[in-house]
Amino acid sequence: MREAGGREDRDGGAGREQDRLARAVLTWLAEPTDPQLCALLRSCSPASIVAGLSAGTLPAGAPPSRAAHLPGPGIPGLDRAFRRWSARLGDAPTEAALDAWRRAGTELLCPGDPGWPGQLDVLGDARPWALWVRGSADLRFACLRSVSIVGTRAATPYGTHVCTEMAAALAERGWAVVSGGAFGIDGCAHSSVIAAEGVTIAVLPSGLDEPYPRSHERLFQAIGAHGALVSEHPPGRRPTRPGFLVRNRLIAALSRGTVLVEAAVRSGALNTARHARDQGRPLMAVPGPVTAESSAGCHLAIREWGAECVTGARDVVARLSFGAGDLAGLPPGPVLARDSLDAESRSVLEAVPARVGWGPARIAVVAGVDFDRVICCLGQLASGGFVERCERGWRLRSPG
Amino acid sequence: MPIARTHSMALVGVQGHDVEIEADIQNGLPGLLLVGLPDTALREARDRIRAAIVNSGEQWPLRRITVGLSPASLPKRGSGFDLGIAVAVLSAAGSVPAAAIDGVAFLGELGLDGQLRPVRGVLPAVAAAAARGFRRVAVPLASAAEAALVPGLQVLGASTLGGLLGWLRDGAAAGPASPAPAIEGGAVQVIEGGAMPGSGQPDEAGPGGHAPDLADVLGQPAARRAAEICAAGGHHVCLLGPPGAGKTMLAERIPTVLPRLDTAAALEVTSIHSVAGVLPDGQPLLTAPPFCAPHHTASKAAIVGGGSGVIRPGAASLAHRGCLFLDEAPEFGRDVLDALRQPLESGEVVVARSGLTARFPARFTLILAANPCPCAKGQQAACECPPAARRRYLARLSGPLLDRVDVKVEFLPVSRGELLSDRSFTEPSAVVAERVAAARQRSAARLQDTPWRVNAEIPPSELRRCYPPAPGALAPLERAMDLGQISARGVHRVIRVAWTLADLAEVPAPTVDQTSLALGLWLGVPR
Repeated sequence: MREAGGREDRDGGAGREQDRLARAVLTWLAEPTDPQLCALLRSCSPASIVAGLSAGTLPAGAPPSRAAHLPGPGIPGLDRAFRRWSARLGDAPTEAALDAWRRAGTELLCPGDPGWPGQLDVLGDARPWALWVRGSADLRFACLRSVSIVGTRAATPYGTHVCTEMAAALAERGWAVVSGGAFGIDGCAHSSVIAAEGVTIAVLPSGLDEPYPRSHERLFQAIGAHGALVSEHPPGRRPTRPGFLVRNRLIAALSRGTVLVEAAVRSGALNTARHARDQGRPLMAVPGPVTAESSAGCHLAIREWGAECVTGARDVVARLSFGAGDLAGLPPGPVLARDSLDAESRSVLEAVPARVGWGPARIAVVAGVDFDRVICCLGQLASGGFVERCERGWRLRSPG
Repeated sequence: MPIARTHSMALVGVQGHDVEIEADIQNGLPGLLLVGLPDTALREARDRIRAAIVNSGEQWPLRRITVGLSPASLPKRGSGFDLGIAVAVLSAAGSVPAAAIDGVAFLGELGLDGQLRPVRGVLPAVAAAAARGFRRVAVPLASAAEAALVPGLQVLGASTLGGLLGWLRDGAAAGPASPAPAIEGGAVQVIEGGAMPGSGQPDEAGPGGHAPDLADVLGQPAARRAAEICAAGGHHVCLLGPPGAGKTMLAERIPTVLPRLDTAAALEVTSIHSVAGVLPDGQPLLTAPPFCAPHHTASKAAIVGGGSGVIRPGAASLAHRGCLFLDEAPEFGRDVLDALRQPLESGEVVVARSGLTARFPARFTLILAANPCPCAKGQQAACECPPAARRRYLARLSGPLLDRVDVKVEFLPVSRGELLSDRSFTEPSAVVAERVAAARQRSAARLQDTPWRVNAEIPPSELRRCYPPAPGALAPLERAMDLGQISARGVHRVIRVAWTLADLAEVPAPTVDQTSLALGLWLGVPR
């Protein structure tokens, strides 16, 4: 196959390789969401930008630079940005370094790769140049059914409890949990998912070989084994203060919805929540005591930003299963369509009374099926939301 | 001959220990001194033994007699050492040849007239004697059949001390020299190998001559099916429903569909019942799975075993390899219910006392029965309990206990329509028992290389890792979970039960049919 592939494939492959290396270099040169690079990428390819930087000239087709205070076409401050990037060009990673990192388990994920999470397109120009990923989970697949759980680092026992229960229950229902790997709620969400043998994703504000915070090193190892560690920053990059805020947009964008467990009014978690709101993703918050400073941010999100009040995994799943179905292409609800039932289940369903409730034997006789089958069908019908148990037996499920 | 030695067996739990009895006769004031941690009953043996020996027409040595029981550190309780002490004293006095008592273990209580009375725990004691290489064991005639269950040694069953002494002196079993009180003396001699008495079919019929049968539980088809599942998979079960719905009736019928005990299990069960002294007369070997239903006022010691003197097995051990039925479970003391967690976890009860630690096997099927509320009105509408009281009532069954219960049955109040319809679905116990036996064989074959025997024993983590249901089988469970009808914990139960259903249906792994069936049985009224 490979030999018969021909030149085009090889050329395409070479072009992709070049693009990958250029994106890796860009993560090195420019901080995420660098406005000039965002604007420049609209008209130039990463490879041409890197080539231009090496040559010391603006790439072909780039709009002109202009002063920030003057109106007109062009990118404000582009020439200064250009000098800024050039200064870092000296120790940019080479192909060999990329290979070495890959062997050490750190992969580079670029837009257009099969594993690239398409949800990030919601970020528009500010989407990451590329992502550095380490771990066993398939990032794109895991993110299709994922929830972000974020909250304060100074978590109270209440917050820890709610977070643990919620994350484990979500994991047991097959949802991946995205968070930031920090102390408090973040770490609690990760470790709870790991305990439930689910998939969890940590988005780090630093290079993957310098995970922050340091004392969560064991946790990060476990996350790598049970999920994935993700960062926009190249290996070796230390966390910076603005880096945390920029990272938060990624947490919100990767998942289908964001849950705020405990957050003060001025906090990173609330920043993540704001990103989720701005991206149009479902935003949920767990209420706390109205007297608690640590839950004031949650209450603010509910009151001012229309965050949904959730108390457990069930509420979260209910919110995400119906609302954001378009994102993941999943069926909108858990309920089966009536015409998807087999003949036996249909006849059992016909036999189930509307109000009073009958025992299974009576339903079996009326439906004309044997006893084991009737229980089996009733189980299926109940899980499809058609029937329910009441004190006198089985009856049709009342709507609502 | 101033010193003679005989052997007897002391029991700690159901574990027998060899006790050497030494008798020493010296000049001095006439009397008998017992040393070696005897308890009160054993101290009283002095007077019993003297009277028995004299009344058997033997000569009581009028010198100073010291009897030592060793190992001295092992507490010895009860009257079972009487026979061994008496023979040791007589042998020390020279009236019984030492060769005749070599390799013989003696068990039995003496009456003042020289009769031999049965003691508890003969079977485990004789089994331990056989394991320690004794060739013969002398037991009271009434316990001979029980002792004869143990292969590999000769059992001498004697009704009187005189009869036994005669046999020992004559060496051979030829003539039962029956002395003074002519009560059918002499020694029975049973050479054993597999001399299981043909009591395989104990009378199961109740007082009215009617054996309980699963088909009696009319109008509760789902509950009958649950009984079958719990018998096939060894699952613990919780029966919930209004009074009169048939909870107790169903529980009593679960043993009728359990497979009969195999030889090893029957010996274990009989040993425990023997130690507890509750073996039925004329039925030395229990082959039917036991059913134990303690009243809800039972104390902790009555359930898990204990007692200040002799440590006796409790109801949990008496139900070993059978069913422990706790009717009105929320009425039991909290500490009593929580004490059951250890046997549920490990399959044995460990009773620790200052001197010793006794272990009793206790691997039973737990059957809990409860009313939905304390007032227990037949009709839900007539219930007058405040909601808080209702909630508190069932909350008395603690989480860790309910965590071990795989099958939950909610009984429906019996309606006429259901009664009529159910007639076509009833099956007698014998038919169900056949299916159960086949399912048990299938699960045993699957679990062959594991420490577990039935599906209920597989720990949750292993269940998840090693026994996944067939592809697609989990779909109804996931939907039910999304609808909030079942918790994650409930899903585990349902999967476990689905495995048993797969064994019953003779399919290699649960398919969507089994998981839906298990889900349909599990779902109850939302509370």
